[in-house]
Amino acid sequence: MTSNESFSQFHWSRLLGRAVVILIVGALVFYAVEPWLPWNARARPRTIVVYGFSILGDVMNKGIFPAFQKEWQARTGQDVTLIASFAGSGTITNQIILGVPAQVGILSTELDAQRLVDARVLPFPTWRNLPHNGTVNLTPFIILTRAGNPKQLRDFADLTRPGVGVVHADPRTSGGALWGILAEYGSAQQLGSSDADAEKQLAGVWKNVVAQASSARGARTQFENGFGDALVTYEQEALYDITRKKFNGELVYPRSTIESEHTVVVIDRNIAPDERALVNGFVEFLWSAPAQKIFVEYGFRSVDDAVNGDALTAIEKPFRVADLGGWAAVKKNIIDEIWKQKIISQNTNP
Amino acid sequence: MLLTIMTATISNRPRAPRGLVPIGLLLAVMLPLLLMPLAAIFVFAARSGLDGFVSALSSPEAQFALRFSLLIAFLTAIINGILGAYTAYVLSKYRFPGRDALNVIVNLPVAIPTVVVGTSLLLLWGPIGILGQFLVPLGVSPMFMPAGVLLAHLFVTFPYMLGAVKPVLDELEVTYEEAAYTIGASQWEAFRFVLLPALRGGLFSGALLTFAHSLGEFGATVLVSGNLPFRTQTAPLYIFAQFEAGNIEAANAVAAVLAALSFVLFFALMQFNKKTVRE
Repeated sequence: MTSNESFSQFHWSRLLGRAVVILIVGALVFYAVEPWLPWNARARPRTIVVYGFSILGDVMNKGIFPAFQKEWQARTGQDVTLIASFAGSGTITNQIILGVPAQVGILSTELDAQRLVDARVLPFPTWRNLPHNGTVNLTPFIILTRAGNPKQLRDFADLTRPGVGVVHADPRTSGGALWGILAEYGSAQQLGSSDADAEKQLAGVWKNVVAQASSARGARTQFENGFGDALVTYEQEALYDITRKKFNGELVYPRSTIESEHTVVVIDRNIAPDERALVNGFVEFLWSAPAQKIFVEYGFRSVDDAVNGDALTAIEKPFRVADLGGWAAVKKNIIDEIWKQKIISQNTNP
Repeated sequence: MLLTIMTATISNRPRAPRGLVPIGLLLAVMLPLLLMPLAAIFVFAARSGLDGFVSALSSPEAQFALRFSLLIAFLTAIINGILGAYTAYVLSKYRFPGRDALNVIVNLPVAIPTVVVGTSLLLLWGPIGILGQFLVPLGVSPMFMPAGVLLAHLFVTFPYMLGAVKPVLDELEVTYEEAAYTIGASQWEAFRFVLLPALRGGLFSGALLTFAHSLGEFGATVLVSGNLPFRTQTAPLYIFAQFEAGNIEAANAVAAVLAALSFVLFFALMQFNKKTVRE
């Protein structure tokens, strides 16, 4: 020990410097560890874990969750917290299959719900036992353009014109992108075109895709950051911004378009027996009048026409996935055989 | 390796000739490449005003993400600090068949894309994974838990401590250690008074590099964390999620903190290296 004294001569300034560094590091460690310390772990309120598709972020966090917390508190006297993660519907489905602790999933398409059955996460299509076959809300697919619509885009057919840049979510991870494909293809059929012309319209739109994001919300952010002339997305995205007075663009209603239906799944394997009543309470709440009203306030269309009111823009020829033959047929005939095999494999665009 | 480069630049600094042209050229290249993107974060943060910045930062979600990232970074630095130093010691001191191969393997995480690390962890521990198919039915799975995030960070940052400590050990004369034994030092004393002082610099910079890389890790984390706020969402995941959702202010506030932190960390590293070179 005596050798140590001559090695480092005793300097007050050095000691002070060292003390400051230790203090800073100590404070940082405390800041990091604090939430996990025992006195903070005391009786946390019961929690519901929700995974939802991308555009649900605001309506759930700011609208539905607080409303349910209040309702549950009034009904049972219990506090409840809800934590949620939002990403493309396909991404979330993959995460649920791989084992994230989701108790409730809100998926953009029933196709993704079916994948949960195929992966044996769900024993059978359990969502069909929920109200409205599991569909919690709707929104038609629309075209969003730059303010003033400088390229005069009026319908999906206009998106096939050369020189028009289209921003689209990625169908491999986004449910919204699948709805977009069905809208681009199906609208032509609904307006009387042949299958071949419908295919031509879909191919034409995809030739113009300049940017793809992994989710509809991500595509929206890309569009806001200046990519492209048009974005194919949920009407909700535009209506919500209009009510917030944050909208700067033009909302174009195609003459014919698809109304997307969003599916709620309850992941039983992630629900402990004593949590079941709470989770069921939450799922039932999603179809209650107050919750449906909140969805409409945030730009969705309700499954209950009485809640929708008259303010919504009527679409000339709306259609649903059932009109195209249902998801199984659509997946095989349109998504796989046309989009995947004929269009995307021959397209040099990203 | 980074360490050697940095010490070299510090010790070999020439008697500054006045090179306006080369310096100007360097700045012209660095400005759009490095400096302006970094500045953009802080300019954007300043534009939203102090109030906006503070409120974005003090949201419970952002606070959790920052604390969780720091916690994981501390744990990673401690665990990999010990593991990395031990690995360096064994690889440097002992000769055994397969040593060269092992030397390559332990350094591999530097070169493997982090997304591949995330994928491989899922293919090991996930429900369809090699271990996971047995463990998941028993209810044991680190994936989508804080432990999974830690595993990913340990993998990705493993080589940094090793790289900082092993060169020092390689150059250290064995004779010092032996000399200690001849004057009657115990194994612990030889370690404490011969090996440890020599390694101090390497250990410090290795731990700092590990910490910094863990703090910023994204590619592997995004796959194994499940991205759940208040559970497994790290600061980089928070930034990505908020940015994709269009909440650029929220994303940028946390980004500014991370950028400032890494700036401080590397400044500390440079200062420390300068000091050790002087000594």
